[in-house]
Amino acid sequence: MSAGSAQPYREPAILLTPGLLFLLLAFFFPALQLLAQSFLTFGTEPARFTLEHYAKAAVDDFYAGVGVRTFRLAMIITALCLLIGFPLAVIITRVGPALRTVLIVLIILPLMTSVVIRTFGWLVILGPGGVLSWTLQQLGVIDRGISLMHTEAGIVIAMVQVLLPFLVLTTLGSLGQIPPSLEEAARVMGAGFFRGIFHVTLPLAVPGLASGSLLVFALSISSFITPTLVGGVRLQVMAGSIYQQMTGSFDWGFGAALSMILLLSTLLLIVPYMVITSRIGGRK
Amino acid sequence: MTGGNNQEKDISRMKPSSKLLSMFGAVALAAVATHGAAAQETLTINSFGGAYEKLHRDLVITPFEEMYDVKVEVVTAYSGDTLAQLRAQKDSPRFDVAHFSGGLEHAAAAEGLLSPIKPGELSNYDQMYPFAVAGIEKGVGPTYSTAVIGLLYNTEQIKEQPTSWNAIADPAFQNNVLLTDAASNTYGLLGFLMINKVAGGTLDDIEPGLDFVKGILPTSTVVSKSPEIQQNFAQGNAWIAPYAQDYAYTLTKAGLPVKFVQPEEGGVLAPITVNLVAGTDKRDLALKFIDFSIRAEASKGWAEGLRYTPTNKTVELSDEVASQVVFGEDEVAKLVTFDANEIAKKRAGWNEAWSRAIAK
Repeated sequence: MSAGSAQPYREPAILLTPGLLFLLLAFFFPALQLLAQSFLTFGTEPARFTLEHYAKAAVDDFYAGVGVRTFRLAMIITALCLLIGFPLAVIITRVGPALRTVLIVLIILPLMTSVVIRTFGWLVILGPGGVLSWTLQQLGVIDRGISLMHTEAGIVIAMVQVLLPFLVLTTLGSLGQIPPSLEEAARVMGAGFFRGIFHVTLPLAVPGLASGSLLVFALSISSFITPTLVGGVRLQVMAGSIYQQMTGSFDWGFGAALSMILLLSTLLLIVPYMVITSRIGGRK
Repeated sequence: MTGGNNQEKDISRMKPSSKLLSMFGAVALAAVATHGAAAQETLTINSFGGAYEKLHRDLVITPFEEMYDVKVEVVTAYSGDTLAQLRAQKDSPRFDVAHFSGGLEHAAAAEGLLSPIKPGELSNYDQMYPFAVAGIEKGVGPTYSTAVIGLLYNTEQIKEQPTSWNAIADPAFQNNVLLTDAASNTYGLLGFLMINKVAGGTLDDIEPGLDFVKGILPTSTVVSKSPEIQQNFAQGNAWIAPYAQDYAYTLTKAGLPVKFVQPEEGGVLAPITVNLVAGTDKRDLALKFIDFSIRAEASKGWAEGLRYTPTNKTVELSDEVASQVVFGEDEVAKLVTFDANEIAKKRAGWNEAWSRAIAK
């Protein structure tokens, strides 16, 4: 690649520039601004350095509770997406081209609708007097109307639906690179269908599953619309709390501190996860 | 004028063809002249967009343009955006007249962004309820119409009209009480402050209100956005909810059996104000616009179109409309005002306390 080139980095650098510029402008600049804001007093007098926002977040068990809920939900959502998404992706790679197209379209179709619309769909299904409650009542499972609105179970169900396509699509990419002969070899050597998938396909799909689940995890940690609409105001998550601080209480300093804590703790979880999965996946 | 007359005489002496030509010229000149005048007399205001802005145009803006032969430029901007713009453009404001809801006019007036108005400067001043013009000499413009927070209830489930704010704690309505988030919704906050007042609290002490809410929380639903209120009434989950009278009308129009009532302890005022921007170079025209905004006809139109309570005492309403809004001197006298400056000062702390109180 670098043979004969005096400046081996020049061409890649040029190709990377638009993306880097965008990242700089749309992520690093606002993130740094938030970082600065989280250490500054906010008000009419000139801003000065302070640790009060972090101190408040640290001693306050209310926000600790919100943080724990956010991460717990994100983990459950990611696990469920893996559990549903991996078999689905395997099936999609195995079926004929026509059915595959249909399945992929079915997976992608929800992404064509705004997340707000999809979430409102869930409100109709999960809400009191909604489809779910009605069906269970008609079947005689329950005698009194129920609602999954404003429950964590409701948030998980709606979020899994919203985020599943991300996992399935990234996993499909990984599965597509596995030569079918490998699994055929396993079957020839006497492994059953599930054993073949478990011992051959699954380990080889780890890179795709890893990036897919990271994507799902990151999106669910930071998601705001679905948890707010389905979970309601009494089940706060971090993103909702930050939004509330910024736009409701106008406490930008504290909101910025919460944002930084969210970013940092996400990185603390994601980096080891990436290291572990890349070892399993056989990458360096 | 004399120039025009000479021109006419000149035209009469001309040949038909050149007569025609100069007539074209005169028309063109006249067009330029009126256009020039319109460009000089442009009043810039904000409105809130959507159905509100449409009615605003019908009731005030278009008739005003016709009456005074001026142009009104309408910028769609909510109160928060408008305040931000006034702050940023302090030295040469873009707006001549600013409309606010949610109490931000008090902050703007305190910062000197709005200009005081003398009672004598408004011909309709004497027609207004005192609360609607109480702040004009301090820069808080007249309240041209007002939302009112009271109780919305389902008339099919609740046969007897509730009379008190305490109805939301009535065991008969258990599991069917709908509260609105006080931290993210201004109407929700005003409703909560009234609940707090009825429970014995003040703006300095919201504990009684929080305790009251905590007491009914296990058998209530809390929502944050108005569409959720509609959804809960439509699905039969909500029978009674503290919220705004104009929203009750939205639900009625959607075919829901919902009625608004002002409880005996009083409903809460959520004024919508029209304010004179400090430093505008069109003070006279802006004052005319403000005066035009508070005339009875406009005040009546807001009640008929969106069910806001008229703030002009001389307004007469049909029985149907009058039954759906707080109307008449006796009813209006019951309305409660919470100090917008106090609210602005304490809101962050309240938001925090409220969020904790309702958190699961």
